[in-house]
Amino acid sequence: MSAQRTRERILDAAVERIASDGIDAVRIARIAMDARVSTALVHYHFATREALLAEALEHSFVTAGEVSDREGDPATRLRWMVESCLPLPGEQERDWVLWVELWLRAVRHPELRPTAARLYARMHDWFREAIEEGDFGPVDAGAIADRTLALIDGFGVRALLGDPAMPLERAREEVWHALAGDLGLRAGTSSS
Amino acid sequence: MSRPTTGHVRRPAILRAAAEVIAERGVIGTRIADVAERAETSAPGVLYWFATKDELLTEALASADERFYEELSDELAQLEGARARLARIVDLWPAEGDGEVVLWMELWVRALRDPEVGAARERLDRRWRDAIAAIVRDGQAAGEFLPADPDDFALTLGALMDGFAIQLALHDPAVTPERVREHCMALVQERLGLEGVPDAI
Repeated sequence: MSAQRTRERILDAAVERIASDGIDAVRIARIAMDARVSTALVHYHFATREALLAEALEHSFVTAGEVSDREGDPATRLRWMVESCLPLPGEQERDWVLWVELWLRAVRHPELRPTAARLYARMHDWFREAIEEGDFGPVDAGAIADRTLALIDGFGVRALLGDPAMPLERAREEVWHALAGDLGLRAGTSSS
Repeated sequence: MSRPTTGHVRRPAILRAAAEVIAERGVIGTRIADVAERAETSAPGVLYWFATKDELLTEALASADERFYEELSDELAQLEGARARLARIVDLWPAEGDGEVVLWMELWVRALRDPEVGAARERLDRRWRDAIAAIVRDGQAAGEFLPADPDDFALTLGALMDGFAIQLALHDPAVTPERVREHCMALVQERLGLEGVPDAI
């Protein structure tokens, strides 16, 4: 097995384990067992928990990014982008758990902040470019991307935690309503 | 069932100590003995009041919130108009500092895997939204705001503030407190603002 493939297997296992047990409680030996490698090898690839969390997050973002470009008119595409950023059951919910763990961990461990900033910047650019390419008239694409990401996090964390005030469906409609308003679209329609 | 006679003094001191220690080290990294030492009491003295670290976290946040709402109502009473009150709330929130935001993040992470912590988080969040909605209702009664649903608005403003608070706490270079304030007050104008009323405060 190539070193690259081994690394990916460790990261796949780490994503699953961190999501279920939490970054603080997760045992490296358990990740090693899931990935069918030795504990020493996990430590060899990832010196600290912070490094493992950072890499696991990057890894899950890369996996998500593989399906990130979809056809369709700009408004439909943006609506789908919003959807792909919310804690939908399955992989997105799992990635969200890592995301929330990252916030806390990065506040305490400044060495993780560049990872967080990089992931935010990537999301920001993704939205900003989709807005600019959409030709929605004279809008401030950067500011709209900022607000959209803040709403995705604020609504998304409540939906993730099962807040009765914010079911997932509502989170999706609220973020889209705000974004559609910013772009001068009617929220009810997905095409411009 | 006898209670230490200084107990009424100890409980708030323990909660203040817990808020500090947990903000610094996290729930996982905090030992009951650390909280006891900071509060100048013993570990059994802490355990007398709080059975678990999660309980310490939720109660410390509830108690910090209590102080925040008391100070807030004093401050807001001195302001003229609902818009100025919302602006003050927006100003105060990220200014609460990393300590407060990091406790909320601890709460979110613990709530991921513990329904009781989840229920406590939901209660605290609802109270915060109710405080915002009450100001909106006052503003609507005074003819200062449009008749949008106050609870829906509070939910959206709360979500927006939290979303930005995360980025501020992570020291994201792209987000400044000034920008956050502008975004929040733009939402007030967008959802509640009357035509012809300037959105500058």
